[in-house]
Amino acid sequence: MSPKARENLTGYLFISPWLIGFLVFTLWPFLRSFYLSFCNYNIVQPPKFIGLANYQMMLFNDELFYKSLWVTLRYALVAVPLTLFVGVALALLLNLNVKGIAVFRTIFYLPSIVPTVAMTSIFMWILNPQVGMVNRILALAGVTGPAWLSDPVWTPWTLIFMAVWAAGGSMVIYLAGLKDIPQYLYEAATLDGAGAFRKMRMITLPMLSPVIFFNLVMSVIGTFQYFTQAFVISNGSGGPEDSTLFYALYMFKRCWKYMDMGYGSAMAWVLFIIVMISTGLIFRTQKRWVHYGR
Amino acid sequence: MKVSQVILGILALAVGYGLSTAKMPSTEDYKGREKIKFWHRWGGEWEKVVFKIAKEFNESQTQYEVVPMFVTGSGSETKFILSATGGDPCDVMSIWNGGLAPLAAADLLTPLETLMTPEELEYFQTKTYPSVRQSGQFRGKTYGITIGADLFGYYVNADHLREAGIDPDTPPKTFADLVAMGKKLEKKDANGNLHRMGLNAASLQTHGYAFGAGFWDDKTKQLRLNTPDMIAALTAMAEQRKGVGFQNAQRFWASQNTGSSTGAWPFIDGAVSITYDGQWRVEEIRKYKPDMDYRVWPIPPPEGGNPLPGSIGGNFMIIPAAAKNKKGAFEWLKFWSGLTNPNRAAKFENWGGWIPLSPDVAHSPTYEAYVKQNPRFQTFIDILDGPNVHAYPPVAYLGFLIDELQRAEDAALRGSKTPKEALDQLQKNVQKELAKRKEMGFDDSL
Repeated sequence: MSPKARENLTGYLFISPWLIGFLVFTLWPFLRSFYLSFCNYNIVQPPKFIGLANYQMMLFNDELFYKSLWVTLRYALVAVPLTLFVGVALALLLNLNVKGIAVFRTIFYLPSIVPTVAMTSIFMWILNPQVGMVNRILALAGVTGPAWLSDPVWTPWTLIFMAVWAAGGSMVIYLAGLKDIPQYLYEAATLDGAGAFRKMRMITLPMLSPVIFFNLVMSVIGTFQYFTQAFVISNGSGGPEDSTLFYALYMFKRCWKYMDMGYGSAMAWVLFIIVMISTGLIFRTQKRWVHYGR
Repeated sequence: MKVSQVILGILALAVGYGLSTAKMPSTEDYKGREKIKFWHRWGGEWEKVVFKIAKEFNESQTQYEVVPMFVTGSGSETKFILSATGGDPCDVMSIWNGGLAPLAAADLLTPLETLMTPEELEYFQTKTYPSVRQSGQFRGKTYGITIGADLFGYYVNADHLREAGIDPDTPPKTFADLVAMGKKLEKKDANGNLHRMGLNAASLQTHGYAFGAGFWDDKTKQLRLNTPDMIAALTAMAEQRKGVGFQNAQRFWASQNTGSSTGAWPFIDGAVSITYDGQWRVEEIRKYKPDMDYRVWPIPPPEGGNPLPGSIGGNFMIIPAAAKNKKGAFEWLKFWSGLTNPNRAAKFENWGGWIPLSPDVAHSPTYEAYVKQNPRFQTFIDILDGPNVHAYPPVAYLGFLIDELQRAEDAALRGSKTPKEALDQLQKNVQKELAKRKEMGFDDSL
């Protein structure tokens, strides 16, 4: 064996645990689900090839498919920009050089490390319409708070509120990005007479744009896979009145409750295509607003 | 002593306490016996009941040892499917009967007739409650036998009724009378917010049987989703809710603890005067509020409707097709369900406050003594003995059907659709799903 081949082999051996894991637990299920999306498959009996029937049924004859897609899109359209804005704003605030800043950073980061199920359960109490903390505070101001989790008009907003509460995770990444901006840029801008707002618009945001871009892409992907909070709040039903029937939740019901893994696989592939297109579109816009400092 | 040592000490004590209170039967006492892996969905207080029954079984045995394992409810069927498909399932599992038909349709379950002796089969087919027996059947075979079924009735707070000048020992004759009674019991605060709900009417599934033939015809094997009697049932329920105020009722319920397995229950708290709930609540009231004065009434039918309507739900034992110890599993099933010793099984049913498999259990000395001590339970026995108690439809798409039925009921009780619109939509959705399944090659034969 040549030294080059030996070196390659050693390299592959070192990465083999990950490589085997990837091949067995990611690539194979990924490819297999593509085949299953053209099958009638109930998990137990062998899959039966039925061509495009799953896709045809989904696209032309399944009202809940479109409903769940709309629930997910509606959430994404509000939650993604809002959490992004809140994350950047928090990072800017927590980048200030004030006393006790480490404590503030910890406090704002804490929500993002609370397990999702625990966080959702706590919110269910906080948002209880009659004894919950939020409505009690609103009542002090003379406002009758809504039934946050049982009124279909309010449930999407409640989930968005929860997402914003946990924006600390992205905030830490923005903060790291802010720390990476060279100080001399601000000094030069100060010498040129730039004010705080101008510095933020002309230096901070452009220099932070690669981090914003990264978080945007990850948020969009994460939002399309949104599941746990909706499952906990609705006890898996997607209610009230389908207002929490997110795409991933409906897909889960199809796969496991109705034992229709073929249809679920087709849904997964449609989701994959939607995520790919969304990510592709975001990538196409990056030339206009993402600055890599080159 | 350092703070860290104190914390470690507290943690060690907590872990030790946790271990000492977990009373899972010890396998050390039954060395050399064949193990029966039993999965169930009872946590907390209920799990202690399971352990007690398992202990009695193990002490009665020389050959087998049952090992109970709690599998959390919401993911239990998924876990079962994965384990059964992977070829390493439990030997026996207790599931909700609504999940049974889809599993049987997928060939995941053992037909229990294959494990019965001719005498046992004869007994099972002739001496058990038909509706309870049918609740475990699919395409003419038995895949599940109940170890504790459920029925529902209206729980009535007698003190609230007396306050409103109503005699709690004179049940309403019709559903309309019940609604009128509920209205009198309602309390609102100065802002018009519901402070106490008079009547909580729920479950179109069972109310449908009071108003007519219900949503499933056992004889013709046909769904009857938007028939006039189903529309009448949902209309009566929706009108009652409208009288309370759709928004008001919604807010009220959202603020209540509506968990099914806890002593904290809006009825026991006095937040609801009359509510529709399961028979196990009798046992909960006995445990958590023994001095509560209450009654249990069956759904009062409308004029010309069907008295004592019921829909069998609850816990059914299944044996996976790939189970390794089917004989042991069936011994355990017989022991608990009362196929072998009805009077002994009556004790288990009473521990959980459950509905039994057979009249032999329901009318055994032990069970009758329990009903005598807890007279409110009698209503459920009356429903069970009556002619108007039904099993779930034995259809492979039952999960979808129940979800859709609940969606329709929810939409009507929120006022977002009229009952007719909701049920027409339900009919349309189910027909569409059936057409889809047919095109995909699913076998929905009955």
